[in-house]
Amino acid sequence: MRRAGALAAIAVLLAIPLLTANQFLLHLGITVLMWTVLGVAWNLLGGYAGQVSFGHATFFGVGAYTMMILFLKLGLAPWYGMILGGMLAALVSLPVGYICFRLRGPYFSLATLAVAEIVRLVALNWEALTNGPVGLLITTLPRVGLGSRVLNWESKAPFFYLVATLALGAMLATRWLSRSRLGAYLLAIREDEDTAESIGIDTVMAKVTVLALSAFLAGVAGGFYGLYFRYVDPDAVFPIALSVEMVFIAVVGGLATVEGPVIGAIFLVSIGELFRERFLVGHLIFYGLFMMLTIRYLPEGIWGGLRRAFASHASA
Amino acid sequence: MPLLEVSNLTKDFGGLRAVSHLSFFVEEGEILGLIGPNGAGKTTVFNLVTGFLPPTLGEIRLAGTSLVGLKPHAVTQRGVARTFQIVKPFPKLSVKENVTLAAFMRLPSRRDAEMEACRLLDQMGLSSKRESLASDLTLAEQKRLETARALATQPRLLLLDEPMGGLNPKEVEDASAMVGQIRNTGVTVILVEHVMRAIMRISHRVVVIHHGEKIADDAPDQVVRNPDVVTAYLGERVA
Repeated sequence: MRRAGALAAIAVLLAIPLLTANQFLLHLGITVLMWTVLGVAWNLLGGYAGQVSFGHATFFGVGAYTMMILFLKLGLAPWYGMILGGMLAALVSLPVGYICFRLRGPYFSLATLAVAEIVRLVALNWEALTNGPVGLLITTLPRVGLGSRVLNWESKAPFFYLVATLALGAMLATRWLSRSRLGAYLLAIREDEDTAESIGIDTVMAKVTVLALSAFLAGVAGGFYGLYFRYVDPDAVFPIALSVEMVFIAVVGGLATVEGPVIGAIFLVSIGELFRERFLVGHLIFYGLFMMLTIRYLPEGIWGGLRRAFASHASA
Repeated sequence: MPLLEVSNLTKDFGGLRAVSHLSFFVEEGEILGLIGPNGAGKTTVFNLVTGFLPPTLGEIRLAGTSLVGLKPHAVTQRGVARTFQIVKPFPKLSVKENVTLAAFMRLPSRRDAEMEACRLLDQMGLSSKRESLASDLTLAEQKRLETARALATQPRLLLLDEPMGGLNPKEVEDASAMVGQIRNTGVTVILVEHVMRAIMRISHRVVVIHHGEKIADDAPDQVVRNPDVVTAYLGERVA
């Protein structure tokens, strides 16, 4: 039943570009899916391990810049750049985790905020590498042959399929983690770190591992962002708002669930994009109202609330 | 060689010396009672032995190998498990999951870990509560859950921090019997306790600490007659 639902959802998702050529709808879909990857990334660390990061833009930005720089300076194809961007983001996360995870609770969160700000300032000032505040621009993407045809970069469909693959992969990674021994250890850490240590769990190691995984996904999403928008500057990929948005998506969707981030991204990105058209900056009011209502009435997030409703319905 | 040997253990918190040049040992198969008035440093000793606090000075050896400088999880991996004075279950996880998580350390497969968890819950009389949330248990049950969880790491040495604190007389009775059973399965036990009657009956030997120093180390019936111990607990005789 659940498997059938998931397969149906995937089929509908993959059919979207075939059913519509509406550029706005496709753009909306791409944005939702990109934010899904980011929500999943944040959820691994924040939802499962209970480690609240306010600095995940760091990894997103590192991924975006890595992809751009490798392409512009070395001519490396963006899809390889995306993977390498994810790997570099994971590498950057190791010292961050190793140092910051000695701090617990709010101190860890504050430390991630500080790291994000440091990295943003480095990107802003290291002009030789990042072009500083001017940013980096891709004017033409490489030709990709598909059999006898050539991939049309002006269409949004290739981006849609690419990011849909990333989102599905990220969700599968969550499912794998939630069933693994590491996933069980993360729950223990979230519940009580001292107790987790007392039953033989190397808590710092477990947290560093999941942070690296989370950073990898955020970095890949950053690489995708660069490829899709073809432009990256420090304000676009390193702002605090971006880090906070990831938190919102994971929380609104449902922490520590596989499906939560995609639900959160659908609601929050749609509300953002639809109301922005009509109310300009006023859309933030609706956004805020929606956040408040969700937290008040669905403290386990939309997916968490739905799951509970289904469970009580099934047992009734 | 004793199973655990603590020598010259000292812990300073700023200007306060919580544990002072403390030395004691536990033989394999023993039940050692560790008692002392409030604030004597009993829990600090547990925190030092299990790696939750680094000692200022001194040595802690398990079967001859030093535990000093190891993180708590590494101490557990070497065979020392503990419970907490103020119970620390994983509140939002089921009773079974609480114990299964601990069993994972020695039994990587989930099935094996769950089977071991069920066996231990049975031993602790918690079988019927398996699927309850840990936070829904009574205090006495939570203390038994803590013990089951500690045992799931298959320790050689088990440190129980006030397993009887806050329990009613019937529950104290059950808890004493449980400690005896655990020892009979081959686990050495150190017991910190306030409930004097229980500890005197089940301990093979009792170490008394006061202001972080050892003032007695003897058989239970000797310790209760020790004038220093009486003074520490009841105060100086007035005139």
